[in-house]
Amino acid sequence: MNRRRFLVSTAGVTAAAVAAPWLATARATTDDELAYANFGVSAELLAQDFYARAIEARKFGGRQLQTLRRGRTAAAQHAKALGDLLVGAGQVAPSRDDFEFAFAANAFASGAAIVTTGVAVLRPLLGAYQTASASVVEPSYRVLYASLAVSLGEQIGGCAALSGRIDAEPFPAAVDLEAASAALEGYLG
Amino acid sequence: MRNRTAIGLVAFVLAAASVLATGASARTQADPLTIYAAASLTEVFKTYDRTQRYSFGASNTLETQIRNGAPADVFASAAPLNTQRLYTAGLVDKPVTFTSNRLVLIVPRSNPAGLQSIYDLRRKPVKLVVAGVAVPVGAYTRTVLRKMGLATVLSKVVSQESDVKAVTGKVALGQGDAGFVYATDARAVSDLVTVIRIPAWAQPRVRYEIAVVSKSSNKTAAQEWIKTLLSAKGQAALREAGFLPLPKASS
Repeated sequence: MNRRRFLVSTAGVTAAAVAAPWLATARATTDDELAYANFGVSAELLAQDFYARAIEARKFGGRQLQTLRRGRTAAAQHAKALGDLLVGAGQVAPSRDDFEFAFAANAFASGAAIVTTGVAVLRPLLGAYQTASASVVEPSYRVLYASLAVSLGEQIGGCAALSGRIDAEPFPAAVDLEAASAALEGYLG
Repeated sequence: MRNRTAIGLVAFVLAAASVLATGASARTQADPLTIYAAASLTEVFKTYDRTQRYSFGASNTLETQIRNGAPADVFASAAPLNTQRLYTAGLVDKPVTFTSNRLVLIVPRSNPAGLQSIYDLRRKPVKLVVAGVAVPVGAYTRTVLRKMGLATVLSKVVSQESDVKAVTGKVALGQGDAGFVYATDARAVSDLVTVIRIPAWAQPRVRYEIAVVSKSSNKTAAQEWIKTLLSAKGQAALREAGFLPLPKASS
């Protein structure tokens, strides 16, 4: 993972989040769009928690630690963007207090364990965003989900690089909400 | 003779006064509170304190009864909406959150529709039982379905019930293929139904609130009862029954 590329792409999502074009839609939000947003906020809060615990575990320093910090920031910004989408649609966005996140006892015991945990958390979210970007109706939401998918792909690459691995999946699998939800059920509590 | 009559009369008067005094004292100390509580609290409240007088039902129905002057001392609701409306109207004191819960999908043990996941509700022909929209569990059910993008399955509803116990009963008796109830209600009929979990990200915020009814003639005892319910002992009883701890924001 090229750290500079990761930081530039995260900054891109930040800029998109600030502009928030998806809030401008006049059309009623569909059930599917709300479902992806609800799941997305919840999973991003989980990702934020993962990064926070990974940082607290003190298994990484220097640039690697910076990668984790940037990931935590990106997850917070993603959760905020999707939460704004929900609130804009008249819904209540999930918050951190709604969850009791659960990780295996040894999930942060070593650098390798952190990488494994991170990929396990981020991978289903990427798959769900890929599907969302193709299936939601509102064009601005499609752009949002595509941006989120790109960011997640880079975070997974960044996470894998923490252990010196270079992961370059040519075609990461898109998954539907049911599969993504099932994959994260154990973590979301 | 006259003396004996006088002594007898005094003795009778003293005895009568004593009985009356004892009776009055007993009424003050042991008069049960009248507690109006959400149907989902039936088992836990009866187990927790058998000495009070309970009226269980849908929180919206109990709210209406209190609005119409029902002689309740305490109101425990499965949704903040009902207690807050009464509070705004000056009919109850300030409500407090005392526990929380989760929704689950239950199917009869025989599972005639072959449901394995909540998403199967969309894929399979199903006779779905839910509570009415004004009932807290009915409103929570609709929140779950909307959060999961499954609102269309409401077209498969065959029966809208007046409270969560009615939903539980219908599914347990096999009169419906599936129904949404609280996790604690499912527990009460665990030998008759199978539970299908609803993901954490789709859970509604189920918050139970409790308040002293403003017109209660026994406010001190009502306040004390609520205080005990909020204490470690009360919270342990709720957890034992499967309720969740006080939400972080409320604790």
